Amino acid sequence: MSDQNVDETMPWRQYICRACGLIYDEAEGDPDSGLAPGTRFEDIPDDWECPLCGVTKTDFELFERPEIKVPDQTTQFNREPGVVVVGAGVAGWSAVEAIRTLDTTVPVTLVTACNGDVYHKPELSVAISRGADESALVRESGSEAAKRLGVQLVSETFVVGLSPTLRQLRTTRGSLNYTKLILAQGAKPVLPAQLPYSQCWRVNDLSVWSGLQKVLTKGKQSVAIVGAGMIGCELAEDFARAGHSVTLLDRNTAPLSGLLPEEAASRLVNSLKGLGVTYRGGVQVASVSEPENGKRRIELESGLPIEVDHVVAATGLATDNRLALDAGLEFDQGLAVNSQTLCTSDPNIYALGDCISIKGMSCRFIEPIKHQAQTIAHGVLGLEPVNYDHSDPVIRLKTRAMPVVLHGQPSVRGIWRIIRETPEELVMEQYQGDKLISRLSVGTSAQSRAA
Amino acid sequence: MNSAAEITSSATPWADSATVLADVSDIARDKLAPAAYRIDHEGYYPIDIMAQLGEAGAFAGHLDQYGSRYGLAVSSMHEISRHCGSTGFMTWCHDVCGLYMEQSGNPALLDRLADHAAGRTFGGTALSNPMKAFTGIEKMALKAKKVPGGYSVTGTLPWVSHIAPGQYCGVIAAVDRDDGSRSHEIMFLLDIDERVQLRKCPEFSGMEGTSTWAVPLVDYFVSEDQMIADPVQPFIKRVRGAFILLQLGMATGVIQGSIDSAREVEASLGHVNQYLHNRPDELQAEFDDMKVQADRLLETPFDGSKDFLIDVLDLRARGAELALKASQSALLHQGARGYLMTSAPQRRIREAHFVAIVTPAIKHLRWEMAKQMQEEVPA
Repeated sequence: MSDQNVDETMPWRQYICRACGLIYDEAEGDPDSGLAPGTRFEDIPDDWECPLCGVTKTDFELFERPEIKVPDQTTQFNREPGVVVVGAGVAGWSAVEAIRTLDTTVPVTLVTACNGDVYHKPELSVAISRGADESALVRESGSEAAKRLGVQLVSETFVVGLSPTLRQLRTTRGSLNYTKLILAQGAKPVLPAQLPYSQCWRVNDLSVWSGLQKVLTKGKQSVAIVGAGMIGCELAEDFARAGHSVTLLDRNTAPLSGLLPEEAASRLVNSLKGLGVTYRGGVQVASVSEPENGKRRIELESGLPIEVDHVVAATGLATDNRLALDAGLEFDQGLAVNSQTLCTSDPNIYALGDCISIKGMSCRFIEPIKHQAQTIAHGVLGLEPVNYDHSDPVIRLKTRAMPVVLHGQPSVRGIWRIIRETPEELVMEQYQGDKLISRLSVGTSAQSRAA
Repeated sequence: MNSAAEITSSATPWADSATVLADVSDIARDKLAPAAYRIDHEGYYPIDIMAQLGEAGAFAGHLDQYGSRYGLAVSSMHEISRHCGSTGFMTWCHDVCGLYMEQSGNPALLDRLADHAAGRTFGGTALSNPMKAFTGIEKMALKAKKVPGGYSVTGTLPWVSHIAPGQYCGVIAAVDRDDGSRSHEIMFLLDIDERVQLRKCPEFSGMEGTSTWAVPLVDYFVSEDQMIADPVQPFIKRVRGAFILLQLGMATGVIQGSIDSAREVEASLGHVNQYLHNRPDELQAEFDDMKVQADRLLETPFDGSKDFLIDVLDLRARGAELALKASQSALLHQGARGYLMTSAPQRRIREAHFVAIVTPAIKHLRWEMAKQMQEEVPA
């Protein structure tokens, strides 16, 4: 395949990362990692890493957009209302695609507060340093995707009410009836009162991110990120790489508190410092305000205030419970779903993605979504069940300078042990009693991440 | 909020919710229903019947002084609207006027509340324009200027209902700075005295008998005794949920009346009506589902959260949509007899349209819900 002549006669292919969903497009290559446009997948060196999550080539598979032939839908008298999907993020579109793969005729309506454009959310936390803007991140417009999949797209529309007994969904453009409903409306950033929404950017959807991206294109600026969790750390590295002056604040002394042991956290902090990030742990934000000079002023509970151009809140996500409350659906940190069927407490309503909780635990990662979509598609179409098998996804911190990979589910009560410690790499395991509950690697060795 | 059970003193008027509701139902059925045609067609303003309804406690339930029973107030309005949508609407006008007077905390207005609550005096509300102005749909119609001892107000409100000489209504006016920029707004009880020359409105297709007038004001002096709120925005924010929630009784009355009409002909026309959409049982099921949501929200009318407001707007929109559907269905079920000018189903169609267009109209409700759900981001 290294023969250029053969290559040119073959269409460019795309490969999808099984871990994070990033698509490697042979036509575009990965210039950041030195892969020129037109680099065939076969020609990629084995030690190349997913630019988003850091897994290697072996975790990629050929990506073929399912060929779906959708008949022209004519208006039918009293047709079955069909499937209604709420939310056009990765979860919503995955559900639609999974349904269409199995059934090309059932009416599907997708209701979304945004315009429905298809993009890959994990890219948001690494996109500024790559110089990407909104159009670069959109893979397919909402209307194109809707046409391709034979879906009625109801965009710029908010869901306001839900009556399971009537199978009625109420929106800001009127009410819709459904045969089966799939909720994929995601989770929203939750900002404490000290961080007003009017003063703080968040990175959780394309449109708000795009607002931040636009202001950050106006030259080198100072940004304070409040919250040093996964998103906060990734954004800190991303903004620093883009040349901005970054201060990362957290009320805990170390980043990713509760997830990482001290030894690992300190490597991460040193790595961020190496990129020019100022890390300040153990600080409590008292308020954020906008003084006359156009900056943002962060008052701390103790210590001097910080003045920056922009404040980004990375203080976590939560599922809005209003709809569940209105509809009488079980809610426990998220829409409570059956761990195998992903059905909510109402038999006609399913849910997937960031908005759900399984046994009281939310799980806000990309990797499980396609499996969830499969299960739900079979469920709503009444096909032979395909049970969802939930497992803790591997956590991969997209901090390229100091990748962190965490398997299992760490507990505050577990004991961490160092397995290997070199200047390049730290491997640790956590035990609860005799039981290994999680494994962690921090550093640059690709082998450790392939585990 | 409070339930009827908490009101134990027999000295308290209208202490027993069930009695109030039974009395209101009787008056609505026996007095109001026979007058509905006159009200609708001859523009008869049924102030005499409203006085009886007031005496029975129809206009007091929601007031703090009478137990803050929003469920009772809405149920009373429901029974009234079931027989006459115009009077149901005036019940809402009267109820929110009482709400303004009580929530103002102004002793002069509180002194007038007992007569108002009992239907011995009457007053309405003129907040359609300012409510739309606050949410960015239109401009404020009235302007106020500070003068010694109060304000001077000028401008014209195009149509205000349930008013007449000697009556009153809640009104909002904008106070501008010298440079023309908006300072704030004030709210006051406009007394319709010799200074106010009510002007006739063009004839509407329905809702006659609601004593609806254009109200031109020229340098109308507002005294301290008339003030409801200054500034008004925090006040409106506080009462907004209750204001919209109270409208529910208009919608539910029209819905129930429509279901009643469809059932009424089931024995004689059921064999053909089975082919219709939106049969009474389906409408009833939808209505019952809506009532579950209503009962929950009526418990906490002053919940100031955004979620609560969205729920209230959703419920209000549901009510309007179901009223449209149910009234249409009732006429189809009754056929020609429902199309007679004297029949209730054709009147209810016009009443349902009113429920759907009166502020906040369905389109306003959706606009406002979309606005409330929009994420706020840094400028």
